[in-house]
Parts: sequence; structure tokens; C-alpha cells
Amino acid sequence: MSEKNDQVLLRVENLCQYFKTTKAVDDISFTIKKGEVFGLVGESGCGKTTTGRAIIKLYNITSGSIYFKDRRISAGTLSYRKAITDARKEMRTADPARKAELERFIAEQKELIRSARYDQKNADKLYEDVMSQEVDEKYKPLLAAASGEELWALQKKYAYEKRIAANQRFTTQIQMIFQDPIASLDPRMTVYETIAEGLVIRGEKDKAVIDEKVYRVLEMVGLVRDHASRYPHEFSGGQRQRIGVARAVVMEPELIIADEPVSALDVSIQAQVINLMNDLRHKLGLTILFIAHDLSVVKYFSDRIGVMYYGKLVEMASSDELFLHPIHPYTQSLLSAIPRPDPLFEKQRRRIKYDPLSAHDYSVDKPSFREVLPDHFVYCNDEEFAAYQRAYGGQAE
Amino acid sequence: MEKRLQVQNLRISFRTINGKLQAVRGISFDLYKGETLAIVGESGSGKSVTSKAIMGILAGNAMVEGGEILYDGQDLLTIEEEDFYRLRGDKIAMIFQDPLSSLNPIMRIGKQLTEAMLLKAKARQKSSKINFDEKMRLLEGYMVASDPAQVDESKRMCDEFRRYIMLYIKRERSYRAARESAEEARDAIAELLYLIDKNALHDSKEQVQETQQLVLNSRDQYVLAAGDERLVAVAKALSQGLSHQDKSKDFSRLKQNLETLQQGINDILARPQPDLLAQAYYHFRNDGKDYSDNLETNNAYYATYMQQGFTERFIEKTARAIAYTDNIFLNLRATAIAELTRGMDALNTGGVDALKPLVDSITQAVNATIEPMEIVKDSWVRTFSGSLKSFLASYQDGQRNNERRMRDFERTTQKHNRLTARGKSPTWKVIPAALVDMELVQENIANLMSNLKAHYEALNAGIGQADERQRAAQLVEYLKENAAGIVNRVTKYSAKAKALRLMEEVGIPEPRLRYRQYPFEFSGGMRQRIVIAIALAANPDILICDEPTTALDVTIQSQILELINKLKQERDLSIIFITHDLGVVANMADRIAVMYAGKIVEYGTAEEVFYSPKHPYTWALLSSMPDLETKEKLEAIPGTPPNMIYPPKGDAFAERSRYAMEIDFEEEPPFFRLSDTHWAATWLLHPDAPRVEPPRLVSERVAKVNARLEGNADV
Repeated sequence: MSEKNDQVLLRVENLCQYFKTTKAVDDISFTIKKGEVFGLVGESGCGKTTTGRAIIKLYNITSGSIYFKDRRISAGTLSYRKAITDARKEMRTADPARKAELERFIAEQKELIRSARYDQKNADKLYEDVMSQEVDEKYKPLLAAASGEELWALQKKYAYEKRIAANQRFTTQIQMIFQDPIASLDPRMTVYETIAEGLVIRGEKDKAVIDEKVYRVLEMVGLVRDHASRYPHEFSGGQRQRIGVARAVVMEPELIIADEPVSALDVSIQAQVINLMNDLRHKLGLTILFIAHDLSVVKYFSDRIGVMYYGKLVEMASSDELFLHPIHPYTQSLLSAIPRPDPLFEKQRRRIKYDPLSAHDYSVDKPSFREVLPDHFVYCNDEEFAAYQRAYGGQAE
Repeated sequence: MEKRLQVQNLRISFRTINGKLQAVRGISFDLYKGETLAIVGESGSGKSVTSKAIMGILAGNAMVEGGEILYDGQDLLTIEEEDFYRLRGDKIAMIFQDPLSSLNPIMRIGKQLTEAMLLKAKARQKSSKINFDEKMRLLEGYMVASDPAQVDESKRMCDEFRRYIMLYIKRERSYRAARESAEEARDAIAELLYLIDKNALHDSKEQVQETQQLVLNSRDQYVLAAGDERLVAVAKALSQGLSHQDKSKDFSRLKQNLETLQQGINDILARPQPDLLAQAYYHFRNDGKDYSDNLETNNAYYATYMQQGFTERFIEKTARAIAYTDNIFLNLRATAIAELTRGMDALNTGGVDALKPLVDSITQAVNATIEPMEIVKDSWVRTFSGSLKSFLASYQDGQRNNERRMRDFERTTQKHNRLTARGKSPTWKVIPAALVDMELVQENIANLMSNLKAHYEALNAGIGQADERQRAAQLVEYLKENAAGIVNRVTKYSAKAKALRLMEEVGIPEPRLRYRQYPFEFSGGMRQRIVIAIALAANPDILICDEPTTALDVTIQSQILELINKLKQERDLSIIFITHDLGVVANMADRIAVMYAGKIVEYGTAEEVFYSPKHPYTWALLSSMPDLETKEKLEAIPGTPPNMIYPPKGDAFAERSRYAMEIDFEEEPPFFRLSDTHWAATWLLHPDAPRVEPPRLVSERVAKVNARLEGNADV
């Protein structure tokens, strides 16, 4: 992005999402700044879709916290509970001084759990209160000053905004675009109904407002008014995906989670959808979490990229930097696998294989996520960290 | 290069409620042995329909309107379903786009993988046996006929050949099973050692027991022989006390044992291999006694013994038989040529109607020239009568029905016009009349006959020069190969070992655990890998990949492409690779056919299509995908593919093309030849056309490549 914007929109801290024993996402942290496109890549089953869904609160996360606009919208408790268990274990053998300390620690953790549960449950409600307060503050002086006709109109407006505020869900500012446009559209709803549904749920009752918004969005995504009364099966794949985009955009979200929006489309249609999302992003100043496995598209579209491997974030850097200096062996293997439209290059291509067992020895020295170069993070242990800095440190300056 | 598959002028339509949907509109291509042909195009361009026609699995409402698909002397469009059973999966396998619908949800993955292996191995054994017996019978007949002076001698030799081959088969079977088992054991031991080394061995019991079984299964006179009792003892002791070791994670004893075994098995596999065929002959003549104790002396001695005692004479006799049959067929072909010439004359003067009375005698003469002895079946001769028949049928159809169809069409057009004139807009459209093009049919018949005639003449001219001894040696080699094919047995154990290795090869972690799972327990990518493993398990001649990697991510995609490429080289596989992603094609394809709206619009080697594309559609495809250097806006193709119920007139791509000229909307462009291998159907290549530059993204990419090529040339 041309202008530097440091306002953090989304912050994910130590996010864990376990399904029974499967660790789909295991302790990942990253931030997304306002107005940027953050790409998340990795092979199928590595947890990138789960991350996206956890952010939009489709799951109750196991551990960690997710902050959206500096508000905690989602929190898990596993890490606190684990800490308590460990402390209790230690307490059995500890001396009295330590015991007291541990008891204090447990109480602290319990408090944290309570607050996490509270945030998890009430994030939306808290936001409602804030919103209606804002409306109150805005209209109270106006109402006091106005009189007659004017007052009446203002009162109507006030009631309307109050209702919207009361129905406003904080997380509706995060919207999602799904991979498969056929499966994600209700076949029995017209395009108009599909797009307007979110507005209606939010408490919008004025038909004129809905109409205006829906038609504007339709035009924005390159469809025409006539399309509004049709059903999804009457559209081609690219148009269906446009409807999916329109449905997300109509809610005027700040963050869009695009979960492989072009993977299911033909190459020629892919280009249409990518161009569309690129236009919208600049026009509306959207922030996008772009989940995909096609690295050429991710490179084209994203400002920063995170690479995931089996539930872990193994590398994160700006997209140019990542493609210039892939540090983690998995990233190197991933980049070496990109197919290119160039037969001569392809014939000489050597794919780097990644085998976690032989690439790392984490039996003694446990790895963590560290900043190897400025703004370039890699999942590594002490030994590797030193090696990476030796190898790449010189190039950074 | 040998042609494996020929598709000629294929036309396929679908009956739908809205009218006839023309999915494939006359495409032709050849597939050579050991090459990959990529068919590229958008969805709805007819590429999947083509592949389904080759597999014989077109939907019920499909109509094959013309053309032929020649494979191994048969036209796949006309053969019976029973004959297709022998080809489908075994000779021509297919990987589908959607892995979920090609797996059985209530069968464990392991069973689905080994099922094909076991069944197909059995079927192959059977067909090898049939081939061997049939060819032997024919050969014997010809031998006897060619040499009336030595009838008894000929019969005796053939009999001898058969009997010692049977002896050989018995021995080879047990030897090969044992050796394969030893090879599997070697790999399994290496894997176990690796896991122990990395401290990552879980659930060891089953894996160790399997390895143990593999070692024990390799007992044979020439593999794990009587002298290797020590190894057998070690193998038997392998799984003792394992649960204890498993708990303590101390695998030192197991490791020690495994290393001993590894050493032993490597030694065994390095031993010289016995020449079982020659040995069988020697034993057959000498009551099963060995010549000496040393295997290598035996091998050398047996080989010369057989060569002098049998092979040379046998080949001589075979050569004589071949010369004899050649002569017969020379005459038969001459008759057929005469008949064909007569038919062509009649066709030229009196049209198809004049040809009709001659059809029977022509087909008879042609069918008589089918050589039953040939190793590579002659598609031209074998499919001639079928093709001729279908052409005549369509001619007759045209004669009977064309008039009625035209009338119907005119009536509906008038009705439509009447309604529109009254200011109504009918919801239905006029369906164009599906007329049989009589001139085209006649031309097709003429082509068919003249092609066959030229083919005959070439064959007859080649006869005198061919080295009969060489052909005889080839034939004997073929017989031996088929005999070896009878031996190729797959047991449950070896099938499981193979399946596990295949699963590992296609990138499935923990194959032992996965082997017992059901399809629903797999993610999309994993499922596709299973499907690929199943298709490859049967070891086919032709593999059709219908967007096999579209649903997969890059690493897996390149793994699978590499796997397919490797198998292609190892097994001389011919591959038809269908995709919409040109990036994938660059790695895979030797040749590329770009399809749009049921037609091939450009056709060339991979280098030609990527580095000097000519058709606007190819340009559009190339410029609509970002590569790692792309920063500017992508050039998306506007609009959608045409509705094939009403195929557009002229160049189908004209509506969406920036380069369309007036003629593109009126007349269909012919193929313009650019080189021996490169063809493109666009009016832009016509000498009168204005010069246009391809889109910037394409020309830049091409310029970059050219610069690189020149740079290399300088170095």
C-alpha cells in the first residue's frame, strides 16, 4: 500500500483451535493492519480455513484471544486452565511460601477465565451499548435545540438509528466470502433476497434503503439490476462468486475473510473476480484476510503473507520479502512447487522436498515464532535462529 | 513414434429439453506412445466430454454424430460394452475431477486400492494366456502350411516350446513372488530404521509384523535360500518383546536385528539372477538335472544350450512362416485395392447410391486382409468396415429425414415470426434443423477409402524389404513376454505392500492408519490422492486426467504432477491431461490442444503454444493468470462461453475477442499451418489480415523468454 497505516484492525494472539485431539490451529499469532491484504497460505488441512472461521466466531476457540479494533471478540480458556492444573500439581510438594504464591496465581488465572468467558459471550452486547450511547450523545443536544416539524423528523431519525444500534452486532463488521459459490448460495432465494438478508437481520426495515443499497452493491460488483430477481442457478460460476462478494460488501464491513474465493473458478473467471476484489478494496478501503493455496494469486493480491504448516504459522513477512528470502524450509518447498507458464523453466525445475523429521531437531530445543529480519518472522529454535541470522542477516542491511 | 490413440473428426451432441447441445464439433488429434497431450479450455468447452467418449462413459442423452476413436485396432465408439470392460481401467484409466464421487463411501480405502490391483492382475494373466495360446496356434498352423516337407518336425517344436514354457512359468512365478517380497522387505526395513532413528516410531507392532511377514515370504531357492537360515531366525525373532520395547521407547534390540536383516537382504538382492527360461529348457531336456553348482556358469551354459538347441531353429521356422503369410496377404491386399478402386470410381461417377451395391464385396475383401498374427493391430484395416457402415447409415438417415427436418424448421420459424410480428415475445427459441450434410458424408467415404488404399500400397511396398528374421525374433519375444505375463501374480500381501507404498508416493502421511479408514475421514486433497493411487494401481496404457489437481494445493499438485510424469516415463504411459490451468500444463505437456466451444482452436508443442501463441483465445488464457512478477491489472476475458445449443456462426470466440474482424462473425476460420506441429484456426493468420500485437502481458512474457534463450545460446 502506498500510504503507511499503522492502525491495527485485527490482532490474533496465541490462537488455538482443537477438535477433540486434532490440533487444527496451534498457537498462532498475527496482526492485520487497516487497509492491508493479509494472505494465508498452506496446504489443505493445515488450518488456514479454521483460522478464518475462528476469527468470524463460527467456532468457540480453545485458547488464546482475538481482538478486533482493540476489543476482544473471542477468547479461549485452555491455556489458563492448564496453568491452574500445573500450579495445583506443584502445590502438593511446595513449601508454604510458594504455596501462597501459587494460590494467588490460581486466583488470578480464574479471574482471567471469567473475563475471557464474559468477553466471549458479550462482545456483541457490549458493542451495542457503546453504539446506542453514541447515538444518544449525538442526538440529545440536537433534540434539545430543535422544535416543531424539525423535532418530529429528528425524533424519527433518532428512533431509527437507535434501533439499528440496538441490533448492531459487532462481528457483522467482519464478513466472509466462501470458496464454493454454488454451495454457499441458497438456491431458493433470489439474488435480491440473498444480498438483503444481512441488512434485514440488522434491523433495516425501510424498503427504499434496502433497495438502494442492494442495487448499488450489485452495480459495484459488475452485475445489473435485472439480475436481482433471478435465482443463483441462472448464473455462471464467476457471476455467482460476484453475488457472494456483493453479499459480503453490502454490510459495509471493515474486514473481509476471503476463504479461497477463486479456487473453484476457471482461470479466465478467476481473473475477473480478482480484478473485482482489487477494485473494491481500493474503492472501499477494505481490509482482507485472503486465504488461498495458489501462491501466484496470493503474491499478486496480498501485502503480507503468512505461511501455515500443520496448525502452526511457520513464516510471516511482506509478500515481496517472502518471495525474495524464503527462510523456513517449508516455505522454500512451497515456493519451489509453484507451476509457471513456461515449459523450458518447468523442465529444469527442481522441487525442494520438505520433511519435518529430517529438517528440524526439536527434541531438546523447542521452537518459537521469532523475528529473524525486520518484519520477517520465522518459526524456529535457538540454533536455527542463529543460523538464519547468519545466512540472511547480511542481506537485510 | 507409434500412435496409441487416434481421434478423428469427433462430433458429440446432447439432447436437452431446449434442443440439441453441440458439445464437441469435429475435433481430431493423435496421441503417441509415451507423450502427454494437454487439452486446455474453459468449462463447457467440451474437453471433459471428449475424455468421457474415449472412456465410453458418456451420459445417456449423448449422441455421437460422427468421427472415430481408434485404439488398438478398434473404434471405441462402436465396440460393445463387454469389450469395453477389458479396456476400461485396465488399458485406459481415468482420474476424475471430483474425488468424492469416484470413491465408494462404504468401503475402506485399503480395499478400494487393492481391489483394482487384484482384479486387474487376474484379468491380465488371463488375457496373456489367451494371447499366448492363440498366437501359438496360429503360428503352428502357418509353420505346417509353409513347410509341407517337415510337418512332424514343426508340430514337435511348437509342442516342445509350449511345454517348456509351462515349466518356466511355474518356476518364474515362485521366484518372482519371493524376489518382490524381498524388495518390499528392503524398503520396509529402511523405513523402520529411519523412524527409529528419528525417534518417531509409534504403533510399531503391526509394522514390524508386516515386515517380518515380507521377509519370510521371500523364501525361495534363489532368494532367501536354504543357506540363509540365520536370517530367517532373525526375522522370526523380530517381533519378540516388542510391546515391552514399545513402552520404554528403547528400540535398540529391534534396530540391531533390523540392521542384520537389511545387510542380509541387500546381499541376497545383489546375487546373480537365474536365467529361468533357459534353465527350464535344459531341465526339460535333461530330466531336471543341473549342469553345475555355480549359478553363473549354469546361466551361460543354459543360454547357449537353448540358443543352439532350439531358439535358432525355431526362429528360422517362424521366419519362413512369416514369409509365407506375407505372400498370402500381399495377394489379398491386391484384391482389396482393386475392389477399393472400383468403389471409388463408382463413388466419383454415381455418388453414394452407385457405391451401395459394391459395399459388401469391398468390406469382404478388406476384412480378409486382417492379419491375425500381427503384434500391433492395424487400426485402419480393422475399423474400416465399421466406419463405412456408420457413414452409410447417416447417409440413409439424411436421405430419409432431411426433408422433414427442414420442413419442421421452416414451420417453427414461421410460427416464431408470426408471433413476433404480432408483438409477442415467445419464451421458446427456434431450434436449428439438425441436417445431415450429404456432401460431407460422401467426402468422408471417399477419404476413408483413399486413405485405406494408400495404407495398403505402403504396406505392400514395404514387404519385400522387411527383415523376416527380425520380425520372427520379435514375434518369439512377444510370445515370451506374454508367457511372463501369465506369471505376473499379485497376492494379497504384495498388493497391500504396493498399496501402502503407492499411498506414501502420492503423499499420504501415516498410510498404515489411513489404509483402514473410510473416504469420509479424508480431506479433499487426500481423497484426490487416493483416486490417483487407484488409477495408477492398475498400471494402464493410457491415462486420462480430467482436472486432477484443480482441487489440490501447490505442493501436493506438484507432487502429483511429478508422480504422473515419473510413471509416464517408467511405463511409457500416454496421458491426456485436461485442465484449465496453463501453468500446470507447462510442466506436463509435450503437446497442447486449446479448445473453445467444442473445437480445437490451436494445436502445437508446449514450447510453440507458450512462446509463440497465435490464437486470440490462447492469448486471453495466458494473460488472465498472474505469475510471480505480475503487478498490473489482469486482463480478464469478458463475458461467458457461448450457449452451445445455438453455436455462434464463424469464429466462436469472436464475441469475446478484442481482435475480432468482420469475417470472424461470418465464416469459420480454417486451420493455418505454422509449422509441422503447430496449427491455429484464426483469420488473423490469413495473409490479408492486418498485423496485430498480442496483449502486453503475453508479449512481455515471450520477450523475456526469448531474451533468456538467446542469453543461453551465447554462453
